[in-house]
Amino acid sequence: MNAREPEEIIFTSGATEANNLAIIGYALRNKQKGKHVIISEVEHISILNIAKYLRKNGFEVSTVPVDFTGTVRLDKLEERIRPDTILISIQHANNEIGTIQPVISIGKIAREKKIVFHVDAVASEGQIPIDVQRDFIDMLTLSSNDIYGPRGVGALYVRKGFLLNPLIIGGSQERGLRSGTEDVAAIVGFAKAAELALQYMPEESKRLRQLRDKAIKTVLETVPRSYLNGHPTNRLPNNAHFRFDFIEGESILLSFKERGIAVSTGSACSSQTLEPSHTLMSLGLLHEEAHGSLEITMGRFTREADVDTFLEALPGVVKRLRDMSPLTKTEVGM
Amino acid sequence: MPKSTQYTLKVLDHFKNPRNVGTLEGKGVAVGRVGNPVCGDLMDIYIKVDDDGKIEDIKFKTFGCGSAVATSSMITEIAKGKTLDEAMKITRQNVADELEGLPPIKMHCSNLAADALHEAIKNFREGKKGPVELGETRFACPAGEVKNVTGLAEFVGKGVFTGYEHPEQFRDKRVLVVEFDQNSVEFALELTKVTGRVILLSPLEQLAVNDELKTQVKRSDIKHLKQAELVEVSGGSEVEKVRIHDLDEDEEYDLVVDAVVVPS
Repeated sequence: MNAREPEEIIFTSGATEANNLAIIGYALRNKQKGKHVIISEVEHISILNIAKYLRKNGFEVSTVPVDFTGTVRLDKLEERIRPDTILISIQHANNEIGTIQPVISIGKIAREKKIVFHVDAVASEGQIPIDVQRDFIDMLTLSSNDIYGPRGVGALYVRKGFLLNPLIIGGSQERGLRSGTEDVAAIVGFAKAAELALQYMPEESKRLRQLRDKAIKTVLETVPRSYLNGHPTNRLPNNAHFRFDFIEGESILLSFKERGIAVSTGSACSSQTLEPSHTLMSLGLLHEEAHGSLEITMGRFTREADVDTFLEALPGVVKRLRDMSPLTKTEVGM
Repeated sequence: MPKSTQYTLKVLDHFKNPRNVGTLEGKGVAVGRVGNPVCGDLMDIYIKVDDDGKIEDIKFKTFGCGSAVATSSMITEIAKGKTLDEAMKITRQNVADELEGLPPIKMHCSNLAADALHEAIKNFREGKKGPVELGETRFACPAGEVKNVTGLAEFVGKGVFTGYEHPEQFRDKRVLVVEFDQNSVEFALELTKVTGRVILLSPLEQLAVNDELKTQVKRSDIKHLKQAELVEVSGGSEVEKVRIHDLDEDEEYDLVVDAVVVPS
């Protein structure tokens, strides 16, 4: 990530805390400069809830829409910038649909307007490179468990010279930004995981990209009325995200569970709130389309044979559920 | 049960091996439909009633999550052989109990099978076959009336287009086309060549065009929204969102789009 000084890294209890420290810590410290913050509509839930908290505490937060591929609209971003905008927080890549955001262009806009730029890189870390100098990033959130490191540790990169209010006050560990005795074992584990991730990245991302492209091609070819969500090419190497007409995602998920394959869905039926994924709704999908979505993520331990098992089973799973669905016949006579 | 996907073995069994999937036809048959695909559940229960007023056969078709499928399957087992009066007494709770419980979060949203059965019985008693066979158009509003749309005039030239020209300007945009006449449908088909997202909004249950064009729409990537009307266009400097009124469910919802095409 090309940080210049060790002091620029603040260890936290995880990415959620790092996001809190970055956004709330910066906003509170710099509120005399302005009380306006910009995020995108497709941020991780932790950022959306932090935005809610800021709104309750006297700040204004604007959200930037995305296009149909899930890419942040730069024209809309510029439209939302105001003289009192102090912070822009946009993810490096989307955790659900895998779309990679144009962070370098966003960073450039932020730098020109002298607005601090925070990037949540949890979904992309270890998969695609990021460079805080090249991409004009002032703060960057990282997690350990997302790169196979221990849980309970994360980090926030804060460019030297930027001042934040701490959220945890005590004996002034971590430059006073995060008090409390550091969990050295976890931090060492995190460092080792980061080292390995960096070492494996070139080969791993190439391998996963090939598996991903094979999965996308095969699904779209073998399953009628299937669509890819997110960007066709500019997406995380490990992510493929589909939607299928006339069927519901949790049903697909259950069908694969019995075959020992874990997949994910943006369907409301599998969420705790019974609301469909905010990311899918921001793409402009209808409720029933969000319900029919299926997310496949791969990792270091995914083998081509696993992907093949999934690809062989999918047409049958979809057909079985469609045969059972009252929507199918009336719609296309399939 | 902390997670919505933690189902009992009985629920999983009925999901994996659903009983009585299918449809029924002929004398003594009626259908009950409940749910709404927008909410993620739609259920049809078919009953065939014999001369003694007993449910001789029962089938279902369901779009929905695991518990929606399982409750449909279970109620067909409970209701088979029962008299209509007995079947009317089957409650949502009975279905959940027979499945050895449902996750609390699923008790209301996906436990519609009893309602669908009661609806089928009601339809049978009133001498109606049910919504599936009827195929009636419940809202006889003429195609293509674009009236009283809040914000429409304000966004003309800023994402609202009047007329069917220059498809190229819609490249990669999310476009909502309001059905007006054959031209509007043909234009929607034309747009699929420049963008992956074309939504065609029709007030009726079917497009008011010839069969050939209808088939073309079905085979295309057009997302066809039936029995729906545009009520509001909103955004910043350009269109960002529309509000759609679902005439069938009498519900309104928002949809993110970049452009709206209406007749001039």
